[in-house]
Amino acid sequence: MPRTRRTDPRHRVMLLMCVFVGLMFFLWPHARTTTSMPLKTVLVLLPIVPMGTALWLIAMDIVRSDELQQRVHLIAMSIASGITAAATFIAGFLCAAGVLVLGGDDLMFVLPLISVSYAASNLVVGRRYGSAGC
Amino acid sequence: MKNRLRELRDKRAWSQGDLAEQLEVSRQTVNAIETGKYDPSLPLAFRIARLFRMTIESIFEPGRDLNR
Repeated sequence: MPRTRRTDPRHRVMLLMCVFVGLMFFLWPHARTTTSMPLKTVLVLLPIVPMGTALWLIAMDIVRSDELQQRVHLIAMSIASGITAAATFIAGFLCAAGVLVLGGDDLMFVLPLISVSYAASNLVVGRRYGSAGC
Repeated sequence: MKNRLRELRDKRAWSQGDLAEQLEVSRQTVNAIETGKYDPSLPLAFRIARLFRMTIESIFEPGRDLNR
């Protein structure tokens, strides 16, 4: 089936990410201070809703894109996964050796790392095919 | 792989956007095919051939890969 990009969901993704950051800033202080465990869980997981929706929109955009755009996304995602895997592997080794002290909250850096490396890879790979990324 | 896409498009006075619209791909994809940076899949090559009412081999020319 022929596929092409018909809509640009970037503004909706940006809006959802703003909602995510806003919720994090608003809810996080309450999540740290509240004593009720179910409420704490809800407060911590609530920002996942806009983030998950944004990821869904990105996935749908990739599905609707044409074959070259899908190739660019695939290569960019492979590079981003490799960078993130290597970074977490190195951090894990350094932590196990006692060189680095890492806590559970450091896992929050995995998504930003994969997002940034994906965006950079997408731009570089897109330029290789004569466009400014997908 | 070499191709005559630009030549055929110019003959019909189509812009890359016009061709992209007819092929249901992005303008970037048409540009990448024309400049030889991307070889289209077989279904897309068939769509291109059908649009220009030509055969695939009269539009696309194998490069060194096939002559090895």
